Amino acid sequence: MASVIETRKSRLLLVGLVLAHLVAISKQVERGGTSLLGQGLFAFVAPFQALITGGVRGVSGAWSGYVDLRRVHEQNRALQERVRGLETHLQQREEQAREAERLREILQLRRDLPWATVAAEVIAREGTPWSRTITLDKGSAEDVRLNAAVISATGVVGRVIALGPHASRVQLILDGQAGVGVRIERSRVTGVLVAQPGMPTASSGDLVLKYVPSLGDVVVGDVVVTSGLDRLYPPGLVVGRVRSAARGSGLFREILVTPSAQFNTLEEVMVVRTPPPDDGMTQGVR
Amino acid sequence: MRVFWTAVALLGALLLQTGLTQVAPGYARVLDPFLIVLVYCALTGGEMYGMLAGAAAGWVQDIHFGGSVLGLAGLTKILIGFGVGAASTRFHLVEAGPRALVLLVATAADAVIYIQLAAVFEVASYEVAPARILLRAVVNAVVGVAAYEAVERRNRLRLGMGRRA
Repeated sequence: MASVIETRKSRLLLVGLVLAHLVAISKQVERGGTSLLGQGLFAFVAPFQALITGGVRGVSGAWSGYVDLRRVHEQNRALQERVRGLETHLQQREEQAREAERLREILQLRRDLPWATVAAEVIAREGTPWSRTITLDKGSAEDVRLNAAVISATGVVGRVIALGPHASRVQLILDGQAGVGVRIERSRVTGVLVAQPGMPTASSGDLVLKYVPSLGDVVVGDVVVTSGLDRLYPPGLVVGRVRSAARGSGLFREILVTPSAQFNTLEEVMVVRTPPPDDGMTQGVR
Repeated sequence: MRVFWTAVALLGALLLQTGLTQVAPGYARVLDPFLIVLVYCALTGGEMYGMLAGAAAGWVQDIHFGGSVLGLAGLTKILIGFGVGAASTRFHLVEAGPRALVLLVATAADAVIYIQLAAVFEVASYEVAPARILLRAVVNAVVGVAAYEAVERRNRLRLGMGRRA
């Protein structure tokens, strides 16, 4: 019974609502344009609509800002990575340019030298503080011989003291045990160039020119070249320049020579393969 | 209490529809959250409640998103609410499948009734392609069923907690 009453009520309500709507719609259609009811309702709800729209726009704007910020952050990170990559690339290019320059100098030297030579790369430096040696990547397999002279584009470096099939150890002229027969290019005065006593490990220290008579003609700035008399180094190779030339207290002068080879930055050198002929003693190479 | 939650649901629908029109204007018409709310009210409350919820939903929709003539969506939704409510008292419509079907039919009926009413009153309205109506029905069915499941799970949880207490 209750269900029937409920159904009847709902049907009546339906009819009532439908009729009310039909009337309301008909009124609006008859008047044309926006009805008074519509205007009133719209005026009532418009602020809420504006509020909701403002809220949605605010949230949307904040989200867009956040997304943009993330995008900018990602772009920034990508650009930083790109800059790092380009910096590395630039450094590599600069290094290649420097290497090319060095190789050009070595090549020029090789053309100028009257002896057969082999280019070698420095692969290691001395491992102890008591000696001054370097290791090259060429050995007996490349026809490098023991005692072969090693030179760089700027001057004499040393001689080979140990050999392997594809490597060789070179005693630098800075080593305390090394000695080079030299002469002053201008005056032809001869002597022996050795490391300063007590300073065999100095990285770029001056060398001492020994056994130059007290009357020998040596002045500051004179170029010192190999004499060839030691049968190790070909004659005429630049070794260094006189930095000081004192009279000395005994029979010999006290002369200091600054080596011309850049030992700290050595990377490529030339190893002389064939021993120098005697008639090459007058040839000067620098 | 049911009236309060219906009002909250309609407010949520309003918020969602407004948000959709702002965020994705092209996709806002694909979903009808008011219809989803009124169908749920009709399914759970019967024809009377469905009709009243339909009137409220339709009028909110008319005022906020309707044209110059108010009441068309209201009348449409009243009829939908009554129809779904009447169906819910005669058929077992508690599973997801039947409810999805109800939403599909209700969406299609909503479109047809609105277009016919607009034609009767000579109110200009956009022609909506059948494919578009079908898409809207599918979206409403999917979103609606998911929303109903969420609401009923929450109700079951609350009921369970109440019993334990």
